[in-house]
Amino acid sequence: MIGRWIVGLAFFLQASMRYRHTKRFFHNLLENPAYPYKKFFDYMMILLIIVSVYILIRHVKHEVNNQWIYFNNYIISIIFLIEYVLRFWIYSDMTKIVTEQYEHDLFLQRPFRWKWALHLILKNKAGYLFSISAIIDLLAIMPFFHELRMLRIFILFRVFKLFRYTKSLTQFISILSSKKFEIFTLLVFASVIIVVSAILIYIMEANNPESRIHTLFDAVYWAVVTIFTVGYGDFVPVTDEGRMVAMVIIFAGIAVISFATSIVVSAFTEKLDEIKEDKLVDDVSKLSRFYIVCGYTPLAREVVERFIKSGKKVVILEKDISKVHEAQKIGFMALLLDSSSLSSYHTLKIDFKRQVEAVILLQESDVLNVYTALTIREISNHIKILSILNQLENRRKLLLAGISEIVYTQELIGLMSKQEIGKPIAFEVINALYTDKKGVFIEEIILDAKTRTRFFETVTQPLFHKRLLVLGIYTAFNDKFQFNPSSELEIRSGDAAIVIGTAALIDEFKAMIYKKGNR
Amino acid sequence: MKYQSAIVFGFNEYAKQIVFQISEAYLSFCVFVMNEEERLSAQAAGYDTELFDLSENWKSIEKRFDLNSLVVFCALDKDAENVFLTISLRSVFWHLPIIALAGDHESARKLKNAGANKVMPILQITANMISGMLEKPIVTKVMRDIIDENSPIKIVQITVPLDSYIIGKQLFDIDWTKEYNVIVLAVVDHEGSTRFSFTAHGHNHHIDLHDILVVVGDDENILGLSKAIGVIK
Repeated sequence: MIGRWIVGLAFFLQASMRYRHTKRFFHNLLENPAYPYKKFFDYMMILLIIVSVYILIRHVKHEVNNQWIYFNNYIISIIFLIEYVLRFWIYSDMTKIVTEQYEHDLFLQRPFRWKWALHLILKNKAGYLFSISAIIDLLAIMPFFHELRMLRIFILFRVFKLFRYTKSLTQFISILSSKKFEIFTLLVFASVIIVVSAILIYIMEANNPESRIHTLFDAVYWAVVTIFTVGYGDFVPVTDEGRMVAMVIIFAGIAVISFATSIVVSAFTEKLDEIKEDKLVDDVSKLSRFYIVCGYTPLAREVVERFIKSGKKVVILEKDISKVHEAQKIGFMALLLDSSSLSSYHTLKIDFKRQVEAVILLQESDVLNVYTALTIREISNHIKILSILNQLENRRKLLLAGISEIVYTQELIGLMSKQEIGKPIAFEVINALYTDKKGVFIEEIILDAKTRTRFFETVTQPLFHKRLLVLGIYTAFNDKFQFNPSSELEIRSGDAAIVIGTAALIDEFKAMIYKKGNR
Repeated sequence: MKYQSAIVFGFNEYAKQIVFQISEAYLSFCVFVMNEEERLSAQAAGYDTELFDLSENWKSIEKRFDLNSLVVFCALDKDAENVFLTISLRSVFWHLPIIALAGDHESARKLKNAGANKVMPILQITANMISGMLEKPIVTKVMRDIIDENSPIKIVQITVPLDSYIIGKQLFDIDWTKEYNVIVLAVVDHEGSTRFSFTAHGHNHHIDLHDILVVVGDDENILGLSKAIGVIK
């Protein structure tokens, strides 16, 4: 009967969209760094911790308003308790454990062992309950249960909760945890020295009336203060034997400090690349619009330089570490990721539709470019992909892989050679329009029915007449270019005027036709 | 066309595209290759070929071609080879127009110093095209159409002839768009010079004999302009 009830509830919850949405919402809010509202939740918790600790400190020597005490002891504690319960809930999927166990028993044609399922759930949840962070969370709630003055010290555990909300602190702990064995060895070494020295100093000094070391606790305190090279001077050995012990412990102290420093430094050095990479991934996930360049080649460098010059953001994905370092050295945003692997894009935590302008495939192999294009198409069907074509015979394969634009450099060079001989100056003129060598640019200005009138009015103004050349208007609906158009030309949304002029004049022109109320 | 003959050095993928685009425009055309494999490949494609090595004294060029109407394209595999070829040709043929391919800007500078008249830096050209296609897709499409010979809109160079009515006028005295339905993009002040200035700078220009106008327009209007200023009589 109980078993049937548990299974029924589990299936009901699994089928419930509201339950799943609610759980996903709290999971995102508490655990998903890419969730946009998580940071606000984290900031709120950090603020509560600061308030809580401030009240604790203030209460030491001053009277604190009862409302604040109430707020600290109950409201903040209740918020922390809710958070603790939510984390417990989202830690694992209980319904899944129950239904899996049910299906397992059903398959083996035996009654549903609900007690075993509960055992599995408890075992699973114990993983959360006994984790360091959950213990800190629990201790941080303690002031809620005890208003005793001594237990107020538990409020300090709230400070440790900061680890949950600040990534740098978490990173610091994870770096140190990579040196667990070394730290353990150091602690054992220091403990042995402290215990032996404390006992020795106690034996040597405790019965000497001139010595201030009277108890074993005094001796341990002296040993700890000395071995860590602090040496307050409140307890000092007065006998020759005691001083001998002090000399030994001072030497041991130097070893302990050196060892500790080397552990921390080596841990940071080893993890430095990882930290930088994590930081870069974080930075990339925060970019609003950017290009992704797959493969760092000499051509990629040229392309990235052009984009950066025009104020665009570019992220380079490259699997060769030496090339990544080379790109980073120049100041490019390069990540050690395989652009053809789906997991690389999951690592990046980016929203293709919202953040990525286009993907540019510049690897020196058509095979790799096709493979990468297919990987990207798995993520997004609409993103623009541009690729270079290395071998002419592979053009069709690139198109089939979903690449939107193909650049075949060799063909480009062939066409340019033809122009170079036939119309060298005209060719130079076109080339100069693409670069900023002559201070004159060619720009496209997107128009719509609203800006149309102002466009034709503005272009005849004395400031622009004869100095801003309107080459023509490209009409998107029929894919036609109307050279030197008349003001009667019908403009639809998405059509573009192509103008030639100096940068300042084009900017001024754009400002006039897009000015407030016209767009 | 100013040149009657052309030589393309090399038969790699770049050279093949150059050959494909230009070979039919010349009365006399030859592919110079450095090895038998390339020679067979070029011959199979139907081109006249000749073997050469970089220590050549270029007697065969002197024998086969009229040097006053010859242009050469250096498209060998390596930049260093192109530089050496260019300097080798320049040392013998002082006035020969040499167009060379360069991998990057550094090689482009070396080729210029070696005597190439025109250098095409492959990386920069490709990077310009990629950034243009993504940043200004419509401009790139339209400009690509304009340089295509089959497009109705063309870009041409018109040299101001003797007795033209525009000689002595200021560039902005004439409303080119209204009168001829063309756009004058740039002007070259003296014959033979390749230093042009954009009309969009707004500097008025005194039109002289043999100035070159870089004009965009359709076939009919360009023809009309050519007749009006006396290029076609």
